[in-house]
Amino acid sequence: MNRRKLLSLMGMSPVALAGIPALAEQAKKSDQTKKEGAASAGEPKLTVLNPRGLPPPITLIPMAPRLSTLDGKTVYLVSDGFPGADAFLNQVSIWFKKNMPNVTTVYRLKAGGFADDDPKLNAEIKEKGQAVIMAIGH
Amino acid sequence: MVTIAFKDLAKTNAAKRGMPLQRISFTPHPVWGKTDEEMYAYLDGNDPVSGKPLMKEVVASLTTPLTADEMKTGTVTPPTGAPTFTDTADNLQQYFLDNGMTDFMPIILPTQEKVDAMLKATSHKPDEVVGKMTPAQGAFPAWSYTVQHVAVNAVMAGAIPDYFPTILAIASTGISALFSSTNSLVSAAVINGPVRDKLQMNYGIGAMGPFNQANAVIGRAWTLMSKNLDGGGVAGETYMGSQGNVINYNNLIIPENEKDSPWPPFHVQKGFKPEESVVSFFFGFNITQGQGGKGLGMKPIPHYHEAMSANVGPFASLFGALFILDPLVAHGLGDLGFKTKDQIADWLQNNTLVSVKDVKTMLFSALPRGPEAANLTDDMMIPKWPRADSYTFVVCGGQTNPYHQLANMSYRVSVSIDKWA
Repeated sequence: MNRRKLLSLMGMSPVALAGIPALAEQAKKSDQTKKEGAASAGEPKLTVLNPRGLPPPITLIPMAPRLSTLDGKTVYLVSDGFPGADAFLNQVSIWFKKNMPNVTTVYRLKAGGFADDDPKLNAEIKEKGQAVIMAIGH
Repeated sequence: MVTIAFKDLAKTNAAKRGMPLQRISFTPHPVWGKTDEEMYAYLDGNDPVSGKPLMKEVVASLTTPLTADEMKTGTVTPPTGAPTFTDTADNLQQYFLDNGMTDFMPIILPTQEKVDAMLKATSHKPDEVVGKMTPAQGAFPAWSYTVQHVAVNAVMAGAIPDYFPTILAIASTGISALFSSTNSLVSAAVINGPVRDKLQMNYGIGAMGPFNQANAVIGRAWTLMSKNLDGGGVAGETYMGSQGNVINYNNLIIPENEKDSPWPPFHVQKGFKPEESVVSFFFGFNITQGQGGKGLGMKPIPHYHEAMSANVGPFASLFGALFILDPLVAHGLGDLGFKTKDQIADWLQNNTLVSVKDVKTMLFSALPRGPEAANLTDDMMIPKWPRADSYTFVVCGGQTNPYHQLANMSYRVSVSIDKWA
């Protein structure tokens, strides 16, 4: 898939893409191919088939409305279960206590694997929290 | 908040899931193994991508009103390029290379003529959907693909039409050989039944090495399909193995040496008839050699079972143990009294033990769950795997020496090849 085209279609700025080295490198290589192609015009040409499968359509999901302030709000700190995420989010909690003491933080470990949904936790957050910070990585 | 090692993965995956402008802040990588002070310093420092103070950026992400772009709705079909490409042979090779459609080695260019010849090797129609594949279940949306898509990849890998039903059977499972994990995982396909001889596959001397066209090309086709049929194999985005694995070039293709094995073929264990052609899948960490281990110096019959038990010592119990036994080892086990695969599996399960204390320090091993877990003490010895069927056995090799190899891999599924003829 041409990620540049995909992300552009989805409204992502080319400026933002410029910060991703892999995409910049891909674009550079693509340009090189075009130049080489022009240089070898006149040689016999072949037509070949595209080996790529069929990705599903993507439905754009608008993000949740933002809060005007975190003061007095409850922020859920959610770990996806990778090693170290719990300790890291504990430091995030400490950071809020030191720097934004009016914010309440609640730590939760998401159920299932890192890619699994956790409807029970989502319901709890909707009921009791106003914001979520999720930690991905290890 | 995402550690920077997963930057491209996080941004691209969010886009593929419909949130191209998801607000993501990045920390240095890793957080695992860092002290509290080091992690707090991450929070007090800057986002390594934006250069802005990290926690201020996080708070701003939660409190800055959404832009119009961030509230967009609708549907987008991701582009995958034109149905055909026309250029000189050299430029097409370069095009496929530059666009991540190869394993970085030259391919056979998939002309219509070659693809048509491949399609004649199956009774299935070119536009029939074969399956769905994703680089990681749940993490990436699955792509679908047709018989023709599989044929194009088979041509690219160097397959002759006779190989096509086997390649279609592999594709039908939707199992990617390039699973996106940081663990540089590997995949194996055990081939059973008449197809092995029909394709002149090698299950004798050098079976798992580069000494046979069918073994090599079928494995390569699996890797190419794992890149092209599901958008996988893009390092940093849809492939995250920290070090990668040389096996991913053409995977572990293991035709079983059925005629020299004392045991029923693997596919028969799984409920198929001997005359059926079947491919069975395994998945896990890696493969290693079993030579020179404990018990192999015993005479007159080496104690293969002791070596097998000792050799799985470093394995993690997240995956099981797949033993690839030369026929000499399989017969030697029989001479030692292990007449069936179940007997050797039971012995290994009962005699391959690990202390509770050691399990607690392991990253990918877990203590048993359930009521008995409450009674475990650190000095207790427990089975490395709780079930005997964690041990699986395939016979393969040319009997030049009684050796075995073993892989920290688990069985997944077996599927018919005949169905795709």
